[in-house]
Amino acid sequence: MSTAPIVADAALVAAVADGDSGALRELYQRHGAWLHARLLRRCNDSEVVVEVVQDTFVVLWKDARRFRQDGEVGAWLWGIAFRRMVSRLRSRRDVVLIPEWDVLPTLQQVMPSAEDQVLLGVEYGDLAAGLRRLSPEFRSVVQAVVLDGLTTKEAGRLLGVRENTVKTRLHRAKAQLRATLTEPQEGWR
Amino acid sequence: MSVPTSTVELAGVGKRYGRTRALVDVDLAFDRGVTGLLGPNGAGKTTLLRIVATSIAADSGEVRLLGRDPHRSHADVTTVRRELGYLPQELGYPSDMTAFGFVEYVAVLKEWNDRERRSQEVRRVLEAVGLADQAPVRIRRLSGGQRRRVGLAQALLGDPKLVVLDEPTAGLDPAQRADLRRTLSALGHRSTVLLSIHQTEDVAALCERVVVLAGGTVRFDGAVTDLVATAVGRVWLADEPGDDALVSWRTGTGRHHVVGGRPPAGADPAEPTLEDAYLLMLGPDAQRVHTPS
Amino acid sequence: MTTRTGEWHADPALLSRYLAGDLDAVTGASVEQHVSRCETCRATVGRLLEPQLLERTWAGIRDGVERPTPPYPMRVARRLGLPEPTAVLLASAASLRGAWLVGAFLSLSFATLAAYASGGTALAPFLLAAPLAPVLGVAAAYGPRQDSLEALIVTAPYGRTRLILLRTLAVLVSVLPVTALLGLAVPGPAWLAAAWLGPALALVPVLLALAGFVGPRFAATVVSLVWSGVVLGATWAPLAPTWPVEAAQQGVYVGLAVAACAVIALRAGTDRQPGVAL
Repeated sequence: MSTAPIVADAALVAAVADGDSGALRELYQRHGAWLHARLLRRCNDSEVVVEVVQDTFVVLWKDARRFRQDGEVGAWLWGIAFRRMVSRLRSRRDVVLIPEWDVLPTLQQVMPSAEDQVLLGVEYGDLAAGLRRLSPEFRSVVQAVVLDGLTTKEAGRLLGVRENTVKTRLHRAKAQLRATLTEPQEGWR
Repeated sequence: MSVPTSTVELAGVGKRYGRTRALVDVDLAFDRGVTGLLGPNGAGKTTLLRIVATSIAADSGEVRLLGRDPHRSHADVTTVRRELGYLPQELGYPSDMTAFGFVEYVAVLKEWNDRERRSQEVRRVLEAVGLADQAPVRIRRLSGGQRRRVGLAQALLGDPKLVVLDEPTAGLDPAQRADLRRTLSALGHRSTVLLSIHQTEDVAALCERVVVLAGGTVRFDGAVTDLVATAVGRVWLADEPGDDALVSWRTGTGRHHVVGGRPPAGADPAEPTLEDAYLLMLGPDAQRVHTPS
Repeated sequence: MTTRTGEWHADPALLSRYLAGDLDAVTGASVEQHVSRCETCRATVGRLLEPQLLERTWAGIRDGVERPTPPYPMRVARRLGLPEPTAVLLASAASLRGAWLVGAFLSLSFATLAAYASGGTALAPFLLAAPLAPVLGVAAAYGPRQDSLEALIVTAPYGRTRLILLRTLAVLVSVLPVTALLGLAVPGPAWLAAAWLGPALALVPVLLALAGFVGPRFAATVVSLVWSGVVLGATWAPLAPTWPVEAAQQGVYVGLAVAACAVIALRAGTDRQPGVAL
């Protein structure tokens, strides 16, 4: 039942570049909440999240011209926001930047319906189990590079390791995943 | 028991610049409502407005604004300025400021010291002139008409009792003029609005009362309809231009619109316009202000 | 949940779990990948988040775009307790920006270095720069275009005089202490470290008085040329390096300052513009 938006995101960004703050407000209505949500999942300090989202949209106002019309506005905004948050929190070890991987679904939690699981799992399919069984240092590079879209260099800065280390771990993570897929699954009914 | 005073009272006001007499013996009083100052260039409109806005002082005569004499003391003139909104004829805008930033700067000059209330007031006046979406835009990126409207916005800060606008319609298109008329007429219910106009069609649209100034003196002071009435019986539509007409031009229908002088043969009386009255009043002093289509 | 082939949206309950942090990493990541590409689900998230949070963030965004960031010296001053309305009035002054202050500091440093390196014989650069820094700063604080907001400043309750004095004070506060510190490094008699204050505190009122007649730019040019003439003339004469700031000359400067203030006060009494002194 979704209808096409009346004005496309890219057109709104073009309007912002022309100095239309109504368009900025509309873009915030569309993307602001999700940016908050995604950032909050990684950082439990809501003050920081609020500031980062504010900075992101101020940057959007100032740099709207730089947006390449063929890209996705949401992805562009996330790139700005996440990088900003990473640099802001670089010195703060107390704040979680990577979602907890050891939380396993329990019976008390609401599980997505079987159909939803299948549809959601389209992204990762059989890899889901393999991802869960990755060793910790591999998980963090996969989260940073594959899921959050950082470059290996940025991931290195975030995790406090050299870029080469990131690349090596990524390579070995993929190898581990491939190995998992060919193994017979235990207790998997 | 106090004698009710008008918001603006000018008695015998004169002003000279060097050897030029910009204003001569002006007697005027203004109250709530919108009054237009009409007159050719150099007639003294800007000078008069600047005196009322306390921007300059008169050389002679008495000026009373909101019941006070602005020349008497700093305290008096400051009290007047607290209830004053002014749009000067030439306003330069620091190009680096945003529209919001500019109006905010003026708001601080007008003693809006509380940040939150000030922000709300700035947004209110920008909204009133239709620039709410342009608040964060830098002024150098705004068009001429938009800049003029920013200037108008700052004059509306605080809903002042006395609003002085020098050529507020400059650079505005007809739609924006219509908006201005609405804003001014709402303003005129509560405040004394004085504005200068150089196009006669704006007068009828914007003002109830009009003052015609020429050569530094007041030629007419009254309702717009009364000004038009002075031209009744002196304007005709004829097949030929009159010999001693003040001015005449060919209309779109091929006939001639004749103003003043004796009616040419076969002339029919025509409904006078404000411009006809204005031209007749000023005689040879008048400059053509309207180009017939 | 599917309504049509290829059009699946996340259940609000699932999204609530996501927001609560209850989903494991992989499921959460999958949700993210989907919602990032689906405006309907983003809208659902929008309805699930606290409206106050979103409004608060929007208020900050609006603030950030309507008011461009003030220059660094202003932010420092605010943290030190400068009242907010005053900061708004000063933010547009060119000479209270980082670039200007850095430039002034560099010029003064070079002048001090010249004096130091020459062992006290080449005092001219320092004696030239130290009083002119505040003079030029005050002139530059008049605003980007002299007549730009003039009419509005004159007719506002705050007062043109008060604004000019505020800016003058701000410039003096930002320039004089640094100059005083640098003055300590200038070799010579102890009184020399502060002697430049005499011409500095005389030339600023002279500038203000003159600016009332011919505008700040012309006045600043005149004052700079005259002072340069005095200092360079003394070097060329040749008089002692400290001549421009010796006791006799200081007396002249005091007299100049008094005269300039008298002119300013007198102008305040005339009716040129109601309530305007400068």
